Formats: sequence, C-alpha cells, structure tokens
Amino acid sequence: MTIRVMECRNLWKIYDKITAVKDVSLKINEGEIKLIFGPSGSGKSTLLRCLAMLTPPTKGEVFLRDECLTKPNVDLNKARARIGFVFQHIWLFLHLTALGNVELALRHVLKMSKNEARERAMQALREVKLEEWAKHYPAQLSGGQQQRVGIARALARNPDIILLDEPTSALDPELTGEVIDTLRDLAKKGTTMLIVSHEMPFAREVADEMIFFDEGIIVETGPPEQFFTNPRSERAQRFMARLIKRTKRE
Amino acid sequence: MEFLLKYLDLLLYGFVTTVEVTLFGVFAGLVFGILLAIGDVYGGRITSTIIRFYVEFFRGSPIIIQLFIFYITIPTLLNTIIDGFTVGLLVFSLNSAAYQKGYIKGAIEVISEDQMTASLSIGLSKAQAIFYVILPQALRIVIPAWGNEFCSLTKSTSALLLIGVRDFTGAGRTIAFQTFRVLETWSFIAIVYLIWISAMMKIADIVYEKVKIPGIEISV
Repeated sequence: MTIRVMECRNLWKIYDKITAVKDVSLKINEGEIKLIFGPSGSGKSTLLRCLAMLTPPTKGEVFLRDECLTKPNVDLNKARARIGFVFQHIWLFLHLTALGNVELALRHVLKMSKNEARERAMQALREVKLEEWAKHYPAQLSGGQQQRVGIARALARNPDIILLDEPTSALDPELTGEVIDTLRDLAKKGTTMLIVSHEMPFAREVADEMIFFDEGIIVETGPPEQFFTNPRSERAQRFMARLIKRTKRE
Repeated sequence: MEFLLKYLDLLLYGFVTTVEVTLFGVFAGLVFGILLAIGDVYGGRITSTIIRFYVEFFRGSPIIIQLFIFYITIPTLLNTIIDGFTVGLLVFSLNSAAYQKGYIKGAIEVISEDQMTASLSIGLSKAQAIFYVILPQALRIVIPAWGNEFCSLTKSTSALLLIGVRDFTGAGRTIAFQTFRVLETWSFIAIVYLIWISAMMKIADIVYEKVKIPGIEISV
C-alpha cells in the first residue's frame, strides 16, 4: 500500500515579473526517492522551498501527509519541524558547534530534555560519520563535513521527508563523494527524499523516479533508465546528452 | 597634587556618578537597543517608522537639549519634579539605545536572511530564530562598537552638570574653582578618564576574544 507523504497540486509561484513555478503537481509516497533535475534557474529551488513552505506558493495546494499546508491558520512551524531541508549553500548556524546545530531543533522545537536531545543529536552525527567532529564549529569543518552536518540537522528530527536542494553543487568536486555516500546510506534505510541534484550515477542508483524540470514546469517524469537510455522529450534528450558528456569528462 | 586629597570625597562621588550613569546607560541602552533593532528589522512599516523617528530625535539633537526636555519640559507638563540623577539615567539610556540600535541592526543585516531561512526550516518560530540564532551572532559582532559606545558615554555624562548633577568632570570644575589650581586639577581628571576608559576598552576586547567563535569575526 502506498502512503502519501508529500504532494503538491497545481502549484504556482509568481514573483513580480517572473513565474518560477507553473502549475506543478507531484507526489511522493513513503519510502520513495524522487530526483528533480534540470537547467539552473528553472525554478527547482523555488519549488522545493514552496513545498517546505519556506516561500509561500502563490496558488495551489501543498500536503504533508493528510494535512493541507496551504490552508490559512496552519501552524507552519509545526509542519516544518516534520520536513527536513538541506540547502545548497548549507547554511549551518555559525555560532553553534556541529552538535549544537543538530540539537537546536530537538531542544526547542521537539522540547526534548538536554540529555535526550544530546543522545539523539549524537546518533544523527554518527549516521553521517561525524561523531568525532561534534564539538567543532562550522568554520572548522570542510565543505563536505559541513553539508553532512546539514544532513544530520535535517534527519535528527526523524522528519517525514527530507528535501535536498542541490546538496553537492556548492562543494569542491573532491568533497561531493562523502556527501553522496551519506545520501546513499539514507536511501538504503528507506528515507523518503525529494532531491534536486545532477549527480547522475547516484540518481540512476537510488531514484525511484526522475523528474526533468525546465522553465517552471515538469517536462518529463519516469524511471532513471528512461532518461539514460531514451528520454521522450527533446529538451530532456538535449540536457541528458550535455550532462553525460560532462560526467565523462570528469 | 596633595591638595586633591582634601577633595577625595568629592572626586570619588563624582567618579561613581559618572560610572553609574555610564554603566546603566550602556546596559539599559543595550536591552532597549536590541528591542528597537528587532522592531526595525522584523516589524512592519509603521513600527519601523516610529523607531526611525525615535532614533533621529536622540541622535539628531544635542544631549543637553534632551536633558533639559526631560528635566524641565516634561516634568512641567506633567506638573511634577524628577531629580537630575534619575533624568540622567533615563536620558543616557534612551540616547544610547538609539545608537546601539544602529549597531545591532547593522549586525543583524550582516547575518542576513540565510540564517533565518535555515532556522525556519528546522521548525523554529521567527521569535525563536531571533533569540537562538540571530541575536547570539549579532551581539558577538557588535561588541567592538559597544566599547566605543561606552567610551563616548563616559565623557558625555559631563553634560549632567547643566541639570545640577555633579559627575567626575563636575567635581573637577568645583575643585578648580575653589583652589585655582586649574592645570593640576584638570590634568588629574583627564588622566583618570584616560585610565578608566582604556581599562574598559580592554575589557571589551577581552570579552570579544572570549566569546569569539571561528567564522563569526569581523575586522575592527
């Protein structure tokens, strides 16, 4: 049986002059991993932020399990506590250690006791293999380590879903591997994830479905094999050709 | 300079007055300044307009006029009397808050949207984000500016003389008038100010170093 974790219906995000997201509908069920890819500036990040209600959508509905988040008077803080978000530029809290970053929401959102929060935070850091770096500040960590703390911060709350916005694209190429490994571990554990990424080998390995996004709309969806062997839309064909060429060069 | 010993009481009393008003002004100004900064950055248009008027008044008029307003004008209108020392505490706090609001607002804006977005993403409310994420960073950044505020307030408390409160400069004035040993008296007063202010700036430096966190540093 499939259980819906997150869904958006006819979602629009219109800024003053730009329409970033046009009538997008998508659904993620429990345990699924969906991967969004497409040219930069196509509205992928905006879509993710709308789903997490970090940016209010202009039109349309967002559901987190059975709750509609786009209705008025929804406690969005409570809803966001159930959604993990990993940012492209990481955005750790600079004044807190790795442990402090992971603990903050446990203490003040989930209201755990000090010991309980510490234990859970350490467990999350263990999952991203950063236990021994718990007492370090973000500025003392490498980019890859920082992003793994970002992932630990998102997963410590046991969220219903984790949204990841290009988690590796701001990192030096040699640091992306460790982050990808971490995500692979999460995938093995059955974590529900919606990932914006262009890490194609990773996508092929873990994604249940890939979503090609361009100019604010979903152009094509399908299993990874469809995109790697025979994308249906011309835009996806061209984009895949470019990506594969780039990956080979690397 | 032994003649100054005779005036030890007066000097001590003046010095304590200066220190009291300064410390009170800086700390009350900090608390109020934080509220003003938060109101200005996160409040609506109306809140921020009111705050701007407040700040313009206290930064844009001489402190002496502010003292007179609170010592004479307002009590007259209210048909009451407020003693000079209380007026001093009040005016220097309000005045300092106006300046400190500027420093803190600047620091909050340096920290930028990202930290707020990240805070909201983990489920914190806006108020919690300000308290647990934005302010701890902003206040660290603001400490050096804070040392300056302390330094300038220490000296401007001399204006209290005009509403009949004798601070350290006031004590010097009395002694100079009574003894006619103007040069020695003022030299002594100046040196004490210098030592006191240097010591406080040093403390601000030490505090800054102590609470400094890698990644949140600014060049001063």
